[in-house]
Amino acid sequence: MQLDLINFTKRFGDTTVIEDMSLSVSSGEMIALLGPSGCGKSTTLFAICGIHRIDQGQLMFGGKDVAHLPSQSRNVGVVFQNYALYPHMTVAENIAFPLKVQKMNRTDREAMVRRYAELVHIEALLERRPAQLSGGQQQRVALARALVRQPDFLLLDEPLANLDAKLRLEMRSEIRRLQQETGLTAILVTHDQVEAMSMCDRIALMNGGRIVQYDTPTSMYERPENDFVASFLGNPPISFVSGAGLGQSEARVARYGIRPEGFGPQFGSALSGRVTFVETQGREDLFDVSLTNGEVLRSIQPAGSGIRPGATVQWGVAQDKLLRFDQDGRRL
Amino acid sequence: MRNVNWLGLAFLSPALVMVTLFFLLPVVLTGFFAFTNMSTATGVTGGEYLLNSASLRRLQNEGLPQEVLAKLEAGGYRVDAAGLAALAEATTPATAQELEQLHGAAEFSDRRDMERALKDLLDNRIRRTRDRKEAAELFKRSILNERFATEAAFRAALSETGTRTAYAEQITTAAYTGWVWTTKNVELLFALPSTLRYAANTTLYVTLTLAFNVGFGLFLAITTFYLPKGQGAAFRAIWFLPRILPPVLYVLMWRWFTWDTGFLATVTGYFGISPKNWMLDTSYHAWTVVVLINGFVGASMGMIIFSSAIRAIPTSMLHASEVDGASRWQQVRWIILPQLAWPILFITCYQTLSLLTSFEYILLATDGGPGRATEVWSLAAYHTALNNYGGNLEYGLGAAFALVLVVIGIAASLIYFRLFNFKRLITKPLIEG
Repeated sequence: MQLDLINFTKRFGDTTVIEDMSLSVSSGEMIALLGPSGCGKSTTLFAICGIHRIDQGQLMFGGKDVAHLPSQSRNVGVVFQNYALYPHMTVAENIAFPLKVQKMNRTDREAMVRRYAELVHIEALLERRPAQLSGGQQQRVALARALVRQPDFLLLDEPLANLDAKLRLEMRSEIRRLQQETGLTAILVTHDQVEAMSMCDRIALMNGGRIVQYDTPTSMYERPENDFVASFLGNPPISFVSGAGLGQSEARVARYGIRPEGFGPQFGSALSGRVTFVETQGREDLFDVSLTNGEVLRSIQPAGSGIRPGATVQWGVAQDKLLRFDQDGRRL
Repeated sequence: MRNVNWLGLAFLSPALVMVTLFFLLPVVLTGFFAFTNMSTATGVTGGEYLLNSASLRRLQNEGLPQEVLAKLEAGGYRVDAAGLAALAEATTPATAQELEQLHGAAEFSDRRDMERALKDLLDNRIRRTRDRKEAAELFKRSILNERFATEAAFRAALSETGTRTAYAEQITTAAYTGWVWTTKNVELLFALPSTLRYAANTTLYVTLTLAFNVGFGLFLAITTFYLPKGQGAAFRAIWFLPRILPPVLYVLMWRWFTWDTGFLATVTGYFGISPKNWMLDTSYHAWTVVVLINGFVGASMGMIIFSSAIRAIPTSMLHASEVDGASRWQQVRWIILPQLAWPILFITCYQTLSLLTSFEYILLATDGGPGRATEVWSLAAYHTALNNYGGNLEYGLGAAFALVLVVIGIAASLIYFRLFNFKRLITKPLIEG
């Protein structure tokens, strides 16, 4: 189902958190609301599911304005950051809860619970209580509970934030699999750009209550609207240098953005610098190279180069990957 | 290491002294008093020995032979050294000397005979009737109505009356006015029909008030939770007022409210109902008022505990239930109430114990009336031991009443301790392997 948020404004008291924001999500698409903390991404999510009132604007679910409906009648499934499982109920009762309040009969309810428990692979845990589950298992229960009522939209609020690194990787693909299997339209709120890029069809990058850029991960990475987007996406992050540091100058260009994979010996030897820092990441090494005017460029190279901190290197930049920004930070 | 232990004890000692003095000692004393016949009549210290008409009646009921009783009762007058010395003091030594010569060691069973002997003195006759009566008193040697400080003195006087030693023990026991050890209080407690009535009243009182307390406390906590923050706090503050009001004032308000010229009577008067005391009119009214008075105070306690327990529920859980489609009522029924199970159990246990022993509001409001309709167990203990209409305060029986409460209280506490075995609640989380 198509979701449209039109000219949405949200205030808390006198502070306007989000002003005049518009967002549309196509049916079956999974998008990410990405941004630093405090940018309003969770507020937007809570406004969509009805926990926060919408002060101004429209929220269209499949062309129908639901802005004034209570959350009970919006038919969205939400996975909360801390999962918000009901501690006094078993896993089965937790999953069945949305059906129970709809007064679905017991046999149908049990069949649905079984079906969704199998979908998220927790059919063996149905009699346990949330306190007896690990974080990943709780996450799966929360997903099943959100999915069991067959919602029009699946909303995920930082679902991976409370998991350890290994589990986070596993659940990342798991959530994507579930979304694709059910064909649901989904919105993921996250502050982690890797999560957003790996899981979603499109990313809405937010800052200060506004959407800065709304695009596919690839084009957002390759063609950022401005320096904020460029610096937010990519790990290790992009480095910015002046024309002087790079030894070239163009009209209106205030500074250049160079991603770590765009700087290294394979791109010539136009720049000379001193290696100030080396971080070994196993398959790759990460270098900080201090240029002659003191500006620092980052480079990522296959491991095994043997270059140590303090060494002087002659490397070049990939001109086709060079990003140019003007005085206001806009990309040219 | 030893020093540290002593230091700890030293810091603890004020608390230990308090606990001993104000908690332990009363309980021990209650157990002690319950097995005595202490009352206003016996006093709480040792007693004296006194035979009076009441103790004679008691002895008669116990089957003391008539002739022994007659001897005790008879008493009479004897001209003995003590009496003569007193006479010498009151009149003249010559009078005493003459009496001794004429009637030395004589015994008279009748006062008239004694007076005649005094009248018939040759040289020192006592002329005035009043003087003779007074002089005769000096020779009165009856054991009846005379107080003896020690048992030995009483036994000596008893043997002087010529009572056979076989009965001395029984008579001495009957004459003792101090308290003695007895199990009669407990027997009486089980025998008296009023005891059953008090027990029934207490059950009714605790059940109704508890239901009101917990139910109303829950209602207040949940309704104020859904109000905007400021309004909720204001409502809770208002409901908390009875608790910080002095009980006497609070109950006085209720009495004015239900007085036959009070608020309720005046308002109902406009509808043509003749004014009456709405509190003491019937036992139903009395019970309603008693439950309301205690309930409104008790509910504030539950309200505070339940409110904070509801606040402790993560908001995301409430949000989740709303998104899951639960209405307000379903949210209360399936999410909030189940998570209040422990606070509810705690309040129930706590209030049961405090209601069992509290009677101050009933005392101030109905004083157990009308009749004995609202007389609960603890109030009966108070009335028996400390505020008896007859004036004879039966400390022993009152303590026996209180002892039953102590026993019930301890038993209930032990059960609750088992119920509140929090260790069982904690389940080990399974860490991802």
